[in-house]
Amino acid sequence: MDLYFEGFLVALQGAPMTIGVSLIAIIAGVILGLILALMKLSGSKPLRAVSTCYIEIIRGTPMVVQALILAYGLPQLLQSNGIEFRWPYLIIPAVIVCGCNSGAYVAEVIRSGIQAVDKGQMEAARSLGMTKSKAMRLIIIPQALKIVLPAFGNEFVSLIKETSLLSYVGVVEILRKGALWNAATFNTFQAYIGVALVYMLLTIPLSKLIKYFEGRMATDKDLTEKEAKYLEKEAANA
Amino acid sequence: MSNIIEVKGLKKDFGHLHVLKGIDEAIAEKEVVCIIGPSGSGKSTFLRCLNRLEIPTEGEIIVDGAVLSEKNENEIRMEMGMVFQQFNLFPHMSVLDNITIGPIEVKGVDKETAKKTAMSLLERVGLADKADAYPSSLSGGQKQRAAIARTLAMNPKIILFDEPTSALDPEMVGEVLDVMKGLAHSGMTLVIVTHEMGFAKEVADRVLFMDEGYIIEQGTPDEIFNHPKADRTKSFLSKVL
Repeated sequence: MDLYFEGFLVALQGAPMTIGVSLIAIIAGVILGLILALMKLSGSKPLRAVSTCYIEIIRGTPMVVQALILAYGLPQLLQSNGIEFRWPYLIIPAVIVCGCNSGAYVAEVIRSGIQAVDKGQMEAARSLGMTKSKAMRLIIIPQALKIVLPAFGNEFVSLIKETSLLSYVGVVEILRKGALWNAATFNTFQAYIGVALVYMLLTIPLSKLIKYFEGRMATDKDLTEKEAKYLEKEAANA
Repeated sequence: MSNIIEVKGLKKDFGHLHVLKGIDEAIAEKEVVCIIGPSGSGKSTFLRCLNRLEIPTEGEIIVDGAVLSEKNENEIRMEMGMVFQQFNLFPHMSVLDNITIGPIEVKGVDKETAKKTAMSLLERVGLADKADAYPSSLSGGQKQRAAIARTLAMNPKIILFDEPTSALDPEMVGEVLDVMKGLAHSGMTLVIVTHEMGFAKEVADRVLFMDEGYIIEQGTPDEIFNHPKADRTKSFLSKVL
């Protein structure tokens, strides 16, 4: 039993790296995803094409392959052309790849959210004299983000698991910690059970949290915190 | 009276469907025009062409002397409000914010002034106590009155109404029509697509009867409702009155 516990503790040391990479990647992913979604819905054909190409390429190739290309392939290519280039830290290409990946997925999520907003909303905004971009920013996007908020949570959970691929490019996160411990001690089973437990420790509470918020949003469909406060006040007065 | 809206040779197709087949019409300043006709006659499409929510296939719309185009659509829309069948209030904002967002974001009015105007408009439509409420907590009639206040906040010369009472429960139709009657008497130019024949009779200066993409007949409420000339007008009125 001690060995299992030790394996768990070893893997746990990789958790800050996994959480850090996932957090930065999801933030970058949401920003990138919003830009890509707006490009994909814009009237400009070139913008739509760039966005579609990007999303197809990222979603059509395994993340581990992208990570290998960026972390090892790119420096090799540059060096063979006489340009001295090395990643100072392997975590840099790792975060870039995760961010780019989550951007492509989040873009599709946000696009579906924007399209789910009733088209009368855009018409009402435009009929007040708002430009299309102003209507997007003030009226459509706030409503779209609210619709897709639970999907962001799910994307974060799958991102945490996907970062395990980064062990292939030398980022010492949860899986890599376990693998190194296994290499040193040959406690193979205990090492990977420890790794699995740490991932569960992260993902299960997070999933529960998302479920909780989803449930709350389902019961009072379009209530924000401000709205909820207003209703409480009303109820108290009544 | 000068014409504030002129429509010349307006046609609108949706794919192979010809919805408007050639409309010439002029609406005078301060005129209250009601458009009636069967479903699918092109009434709403005609109205939506007036503020370019639908882009005409052929013909031109002249508002206040300017030909409506992509370039000036936002400026013209500031002068020409629209009230929708489905209200289209912004659900993520309070009633007050729904009303102030236009003046603040489009006209650059400062927040305090916008808020004052909004409160007096809410007073006018009988919703002063709902300023901090969210649209989801309002009844249909209240939503539509708030939507009218939102339109009024832009201080437009013209308001277009697209079947403003069709989505309301019967007992709420009256409160919305009352607000609209108030507007009609205030000297604003109103173009109203409606199925409320009694309202059209009482309030309109002129009634347009549309069918199959044409304006079939037009005249004073008395002419249209009591002495219709065209057979199609007669048969429509015999079904709805």
